[in-house]
Amino acid sequence: MEKSRIELKMPSDVYYLESVRAFIGKLCETLRFSKKRIADVQLALDEICSNAVYHGSTCVSSGIQLQISVNTRTLEIVVRDKGGSNTQDWITPERLAEIQEKRSPAGEGGHGLYLIECLTDVHKLEANAVGGTDVTAIFYRDANADES
Amino acid sequence: MTGTELITTRENADVKIIDVKTDLSSYAASDLRKVLEDLLMEKVNKVVVNFSEVNHINSTAVGTLVGIAKRLRQNGGDLKLCNLASTLTRTFNLIGASSVVEIYESEKSAIAAF
Repeated sequence: MEKSRIELKMPSDVYYLESVRAFIGKLCETLRFSKKRIADVQLALDEICSNAVYHGSTCVSSGIQLQISVNTRTLEIVVRDKGGSNTQDWITPERLAEIQEKRSPAGEGGHGLYLIECLTDVHKLEANAVGGTDVTAIFYRDANADES
Repeated sequence: MTGTELITTRENADVKIIDVKTDLSSYAASDLRKVLEDLLMEKVNKVVVNFSEVNHINSTAVGTLVGIAKRLRQNGGDLKLCNLASTLTRTFNLIGASSVVEIYESEKSAIAAF
């Protein structure tokens, strides 16, 4: 199977996240992911896109770009935001460590990045050329093997 | 249906029961927060949220429920959850919120726990 790529653009508004979540759910069904694995992918994407809306492309019209790549081994999703005037470099390594350190189960916030770490096989956050953040989430397709 | 029609309230004695009929990502979480904060304003302090029609919840919604539970406890009440699908329970467990908010298998057992 050659690497296939799907590109989506959405307004930077959480109103549209349900549609994106439904789309990735259908794609994962096509790829024969287990139900549990589909729920994991949907939740990870929800968290990544929510962060992109609230902390990245803070202007609705800036939009968020999703690149979804599939090959025989992996499903890879890259979510790209454009940053905002008050959120420049919000996700520096120091800031990331601070967020993770402060996270408490009894806290109301700060769980998104932790969930992304738990739910993905590989993830990375990088500053992009347009002043925002690229978040990459990789899911191994053979991780379904032992799941119902 | 509008956001408020998808999150409705009813009563069982002194317990308010919230029926959520939508998946809870960031957008719907703000509707849920509004319903719960309205109950706090009305001095309601025993609340059960029924998740029987919910297939997805994200960390924003979990955080909302944790925050409201803590405020209800300060008022001598509590927030209890029931009828969660296994994927939702997994999300609460991953975050650790299941040690903060009580989860019950049925609405009856959640109400009885007050």
